[in-house]
Amino acid sequence: MQHRFANINAWTVGAVIIIILLFLPNLTIVSGLFTPSNENWEHMKEFVLWGFVKNSLILTAATAFFTIMIGLSLAWLIAQYDFPMRRFLKWALILPLSIPPFIGAYTYHGMLSHTGIIQTTLRDTFGVTLNPAFFDIMNLPGAIFIYTMFLFPYVYSITQVYLSQQSASLIESTRILGKGPWKTFFQVVLPISRISIIAGASLVVLEVLNDYGVVKYYGVQTFTTAIFQTWFGLGDIESSIKLAASLMGFVILILMIEKLLRGRRQYSYSTTKVRPLPLITLSGWKAAAATGYGFIILSLAFFIPVAQLIDWTVLTFGTIPMGEFMSYVKNSVFVAGLSASLIIIFALIVGNFARMVRGRLGKLLPRLTVLGYSIPGAVIAVAVVTAFIGLDRFLAPVYVWAGFSTTLVLSVSIVLLVTAYIIRFFAIGYNSIETGYDKIGTNFRDASRTLGLGVTKTFFKVDMPMMKGAIISGFILVFIDVLKEIPLTLILRPFNFDTLSTKAFQYASDEKIMEASQASLLIVGISALAIVFFYKFLERELD
Amino acid sequence: MFVAIEDVCFSYSNAETKALDNFTLKIEKGEVISILGRSGSGKSTVLRLLAGLEKPEKGRLVIQDEVLFDNKTFLQPEKRGIGMVFQDYALFPHLTVAENILFGLFRMKKAEKKKRLQEVLELVELQDFGKRYPHQLSGGQQQRVAIARAVAPNPHLILLDEPFSNLDAELQGKIREDLRDILKKANITSIFVTHDEKDAHILADRIVRLKDGRIDFVGRPCDMLDTYRQPGMQQPSTKGFVEKNLIGIN
Repeated sequence: MQHRFANINAWTVGAVIIIILLFLPNLTIVSGLFTPSNENWEHMKEFVLWGFVKNSLILTAATAFFTIMIGLSLAWLIAQYDFPMRRFLKWALILPLSIPPFIGAYTYHGMLSHTGIIQTTLRDTFGVTLNPAFFDIMNLPGAIFIYTMFLFPYVYSITQVYLSQQSASLIESTRILGKGPWKTFFQVVLPISRISIIAGASLVVLEVLNDYGVVKYYGVQTFTTAIFQTWFGLGDIESSIKLAASLMGFVILILMIEKLLRGRRQYSYSTTKVRPLPLITLSGWKAAAATGYGFIILSLAFFIPVAQLIDWTVLTFGTIPMGEFMSYVKNSVFVAGLSASLIIIFALIVGNFARMVRGRLGKLLPRLTVLGYSIPGAVIAVAVVTAFIGLDRFLAPVYVWAGFSTTLVLSVSIVLLVTAYIIRFFAIGYNSIETGYDKIGTNFRDASRTLGLGVTKTFFKVDMPMMKGAIISGFILVFIDVLKEIPLTLILRPFNFDTLSTKAFQYASDEKIMEASQASLLIVGISALAIVFFYKFLERELD
Repeated sequence: MFVAIEDVCFSYSNAETKALDNFTLKIEKGEVISILGRSGSGKSTVLRLLAGLEKPEKGRLVIQDEVLFDNKTFLQPEKRGIGMVFQDYALFPHLTVAENILFGLFRMKKAEKKKRLQEVLELVELQDFGKRYPHQLSGGQQQRVAIARAVAPNPHLILLDEPFSNLDAELQGKIREDLRDILKKANITSIFVTHDEKDAHILADRIVRLKDGRIDFVGRPCDMLDTYRQPGMQQPSTKGFVEKNLIGIN
């Protein structure tokens, strides 16, 4: 037992403090469950709660189903067959992730509306007027369509990488044993790739539960919208904590189901020599169908919305004063840069701690911090605000002593927003840093220490320079997620503080869809660039 | 006694059996010791414990009258003055050969550093390779850089973990001779771990054979050969030998 904590030092202290700070706000939610319920809560429970639950269930289940269908079919095509444009589609199919669902939602609504390109073209060019209800996307099925289009790459990318790494002999032996391509798919490919499908689909489900922009804009009542309505509409934070706690229970249930489905079935190779799958070349109509299918999905999920955004941006360019627009850009870059830097610094400390300690506790503690990513933004918002108001109350005497005119200081500052970002996105940065630490292993650190350098000096002279890649990629991933984030930013930002995403959302909510395009296009452009960067970066790493 | 390892016990947190069970060994200055054993016999653990990369459950470690570990003390690895050559060499890939060697010389003055760098580069016959990066070197050259880096700060003791395992057979023979020359020239006490008896016979002044975390044989290489040659003996009896050599097994 004694040797487990052989290296307790400042790193340990720092890491434990960070882990507690990241985890603590979530406890306020759990404690909210045990406060006595008020009239609003009783009313909600009786009349509306089931409606939210039903909508949230339908949304998540249907989106999971469709994203698996599209993601898995594309992954299988790309991993097993060769057809025209395969190399391009292979990475381009990840691009829809660069469009935040709420931007996709209002873009599709704009295109399909009475004055949108589809109906006007039909009217003016072909003289056809159809029932407007036919074009109504602002409903539950519409939201499912939007989520499916912009979230399927989670399933696609994870499954495709997994399938491409499958040992060729596994698939080949199935074929030799006399199974056709369909039987191979259902009897071998599907079962072995189950883990990656579940991993991708659970990311999709968590994103759907987290999302606020799409359902708010389309007027679909879900858990998330209910939390904010109770909070701001009714001014009843206690009931919204209870809602948040129920949602968190729901998320924990999903995580448990995921764990259960994955279970002990950890497939691993029985041989170390994994030969990649040789591609089967398709020709004729089969090749055309494969390319066509890929391009239809890619167009619906990326090219069409982006073309529309470009069109609107050109039309409205100059209507938003440049100075104003630049201030949103500046705010976005500031909060995203600050949060990403802090997350990476914290992740480096916690990650270094994780590899110093031994035993189960040491492995478990850092895992706790990753939970934040599965907790929806609405829940984190409630948790952080509750915690900060408590903190302000505690610090009130200090504020009075310092001569502040108010005792609400931290809870109305940018600190609140950045804290919420850190809790929500810590996992993204941490995963990247953890992979970096895993990759360099402990030998370089040990070598440095036997050469006379302490833990901290070793960190700066050996670990940091060797993890440059992991640090940069972690930073970019967090930066982009913050850039796209909507519910936390909308609710926790200081007064008069607008970012690209909040401005895009507000314009769209005010039916100024075209004005929203400029900010949206910038978000999509930066995210798409990052995706291309990663693809090239990863490809080079694999070589 | 120059190095004393007394009654050291250690087990890894995820294992049930002890990696080392009351391990005791005394080493004279300038001696080259080989720890021989199959994988999982606990041989690398001895090096990691001496270097301070793991903490023993109990026992005592002393080098040149300085206590590295006992029930009150645990000296951090950077304070021990022990050099180590890792199995995969662990050369810092972002630093050149010269920078790798200078890494541990931060306490020296500039002129002194430069002189020492030249000395160790000559010792391992890599004078012209200072500006290269590790990935631009062959396996044998990388190993020599790793040795130069470990020797440069003038450690009391140098530890080598499976120094030949990453080299192809042809190179092994040559490197073995080189290593023996380098170690003797530098006159540093050293312990190296290997699973290959041939390595141990050629290089070591004394061989310690480990089995399941316990010492199974200690003695000169030629004695080990003799024990095998006695007719009708399958396992060398080492008990008397061990006692004679002040090696305690509890």
